[in-house]
Amino acid sequence: MKRANILLYNIAAVAVGLVISAAMLLFMGVNPIDVCAQTLSKIVTDRYNLGEILVKGTPLIFTSLAFAFTYKANLFNIGAQGQFSMGAIAAISLSLALQDRVPTFLLLLIVLVGSFCAGALVGALIGIAKARFNANEFLVSMMSTYVVSNFMDYLLRTSLQETKAEYMQTDAISKSAYLPVILKGTRVHLGFLLAVVVAVLVWVLLNKTALGFQIRAVGKNPNASELGGINARRIYVIAFLIAGGLAGLAGLTEINGVQHMLLREFNASIGSYGIGIAILANGNPIGCIFASLLFGFLNIMGTTMGRLPGLDIPASIIELIEGIVMICVIISYALRYYMENRSEKKRMRKAGV
Amino acid sequence: MGIPVVELRHITKCFTKVVANKDVSITVNAGEVVALLGENGAGKSTVMKILYGLYGMDEGQILIRGEEVQIKTPADAMSRGIAMIQQHFSLVPTHTAAENIILGNVHGRIAIKEYEKKLSQIARDYGFDVPMDRPIRELAVGQQQKVEILKALYINTSILIMDEPTAVLTPQESDNLMQFIKSFTAKGNSVVFITHKMKEVMEVADRIVVMRAGVVVDEVRREDTNERELAHMMIGQDIVPPVRNLSEDYAAGKDVLRFEHVSLREKRGAQLLRDVSFSIHEGEIFGIAGVSGNGQDDLCDVISGVKSPTEGTVYLDGQNINRATIRQRNAAGIGYAPVDRYRDGMIMDMDLAENVLLKGCFNKKWLNHGFIRQRQLRRYTDELIQRHRVKATGYSDMAGGLSGGNQQKLLLGREVDVGTRLLVLNQPTRGLDMGAVDRIHHVIMEEKEKKKAILLVSTELTEIFEMCDRIAVMHNGGFMGIYRNGELTTEQIGLLMAGVAGGKEAAE
Repeated sequence: MKRANILLYNIAAVAVGLVISAAMLLFMGVNPIDVCAQTLSKIVTDRYNLGEILVKGTPLIFTSLAFAFTYKANLFNIGAQGQFSMGAIAAISLSLALQDRVPTFLLLLIVLVGSFCAGALVGALIGIAKARFNANEFLVSMMSTYVVSNFMDYLLRTSLQETKAEYMQTDAISKSAYLPVILKGTRVHLGFLLAVVVAVLVWVLLNKTALGFQIRAVGKNPNASELGGINARRIYVIAFLIAGGLAGLAGLTEINGVQHMLLREFNASIGSYGIGIAILANGNPIGCIFASLLFGFLNIMGTTMGRLPGLDIPASIIELIEGIVMICVIISYALRYYMENRSEKKRMRKAGV
Repeated sequence: MGIPVVELRHITKCFTKVVANKDVSITVNAGEVVALLGENGAGKSTVMKILYGLYGMDEGQILIRGEEVQIKTPADAMSRGIAMIQQHFSLVPTHTAAENIILGNVHGRIAIKEYEKKLSQIARDYGFDVPMDRPIRELAVGQQQKVEILKALYINTSILIMDEPTAVLTPQESDNLMQFIKSFTAKGNSVVFITHKMKEVMEVADRIVVMRAGVVVDEVRREDTNERELAHMMIGQDIVPPVRNLSEDYAAGKDVLRFEHVSLREKRGAQLLRDVSFSIHEGEIFGIAGVSGNGQDDLCDVISGVKSPTEGTVYLDGQNINRATIRQRNAAGIGYAPVDRYRDGMIMDMDLAENVLLKGCFNKKWLNHGFIRQRQLRRYTDELIQRHRVKATGYSDMAGGLSGGNQQKLLLGREVDVGTRLLVLNQPTRGLDMGAVDRIHHVIMEEKEKKKAILLVSTELTEIFEMCDRIAVMHNGGFMGIYRNGELTTEQIGLLMAGVAGGKEAAE
């Protein structure tokens, strides 16, 4: 179906979702139009707030790519959260060990490779379980998240714990290990550019290379692909390896770009949002960028709304909004399918009779 | 004649992508066999599935014994005495024959022994020999079909629809079926017989309805027609078989493919191939005849590399390829058109260029440092489309949007270029319209001229006789013998297909 049509349906779905969400504000006894106008003006007029949209969107680009990538091979990577956490562990460990000893550029490069590899390791294990034992990748990847999360807690209690040994968190990394800020007056760091570049590279990989073709072919028809000489099991491992690496990269951007330390429950929901965003983007890597920014925007909107003086809107309203938007998008897929079928049928009958 | 038992009036049915039936009207009288004749995809099954309540219709009326009825589910149809035997049987393999027959018509406690006795009686009345207490999966296909028929008889069916009932039967089993149809209709019942085989039509039908591309093209009584005329109606054009010279001797040519005592056993123990030995020479078309499901697909799997033999050796150009991967075999020049192109041959929601690339994604010709050479690939795809007269607008068409015949032409074009040494064609013309069949036969002959070795699996004896130099008859995973084309009559081959050893002598 035409790309423009898909886009149209998506935009409409998001808009409907926002309208329904705004109606929710009525139940809180506030004027939704008023509140939205206030919130929007707060965001638009504040450079820092605008920048935060990109900051919040950055890790979501990676986790949504991690889902979208395996999705092309018809595999479900529900474990982006764990892969991200492993990437974050690698990023903090490498940064703490090497900071002030190697130049910033080299350090960031090492952390980039390290966080990718750490995420890729978790991903590859899931892929191997799938390829070797025909394990259900959905369950394995989901459960792997818990394993990694507990592993992270263990490290935060032991070798990675801060020198004060008070909280379950690491020491902060030194300024020399920060990802440089690229927009003055905001927190927008180099990681955002990296995310965009990576998304474009993923698109190129999937659509222009033999490997990407093989991944898509296996996803659409593993039998025919095998007869084409493609080793589907190998593709399962590669797809999960790359997807894991993509999620791992968010470890770099979040540790070295935003938080500068690792703590418990670090960005604990970017994995699940990634799934929703990838579905919203229909698995298209470029679409993931925009969908992630949309969610970054919703996130900021929620925080800003919660801070509006005298209204007492809970910041968690945003999770409600995000949920409603997701549901609307999914319904729009079903609706689009139905409408396309119907118009096609009508066309056929007109031509036929 | 009175009021017809069934009257379909102006039925129209559209699927999302195609018009399956357009203004189809068919009547069936009591005690009559109506043959619904047409190529696969002509809409025969669809219109009968509408009558049986499996599909809804977009326009039209159904009259049963002169009364307009709404048939929304198979249960509606059955309550009016209509039963349909699908091409693929709807039986529970782990249940016994008796359990399958009474399925859906019993409640509460089941006195299975009594049912078995009662059903055995019905079976005997029609001369069927079916063990009622054996699970379906242990029965031969012919017996399974009898279970399906008994299912219909058990609910007192008076209108029996059979969709391609002989496709899975040996010639002898088919004869038995024809006998049954005659005795069934002699009691005043009606049969609708869906088929694309003219021979059967001439044998059993009282009236013949010919369909083509979703419409009824003609309706004739059997006495007033002949096979040639029917073929013409079905196809709408005359077919010229490729000219061939049967006197050439291929044994002198080089072996391309050689099987030495190849057996294939499943892990659980089922024997799929039994001690198969043969060789195919350059420029030879080696035919495998047999009822489908007798090991032909496994034979192809062993050559293409999907399965590896448990015993014996496969040689390609003198090299043992038992352990070669599919990728290596593709590179060594084996082209393979699998029997189910939807499942194994193409990716329907990718475009034609990508489908061509499927067999070449390791070929340096299409790659540049891991990147796909799009321009060359697209040019080549367009060239294939031209060369093989595929009805498509260009490389960017989705494979799923093409008709079956055009998909097969493209697939064959691709495989012909991959298979520089050997072509394995598993029922390459199954379900295609005559025009496409004709084109594909010509392509096969062209490749033979290029000295390629060709393995042609077919369930259509006419195709085997028309195309092949030598013929092997397969039964139950083994060869019943290898014969030169012309050595066997249809009757002899039929006996061999049924597994009667020495069928050649027996028939003489």
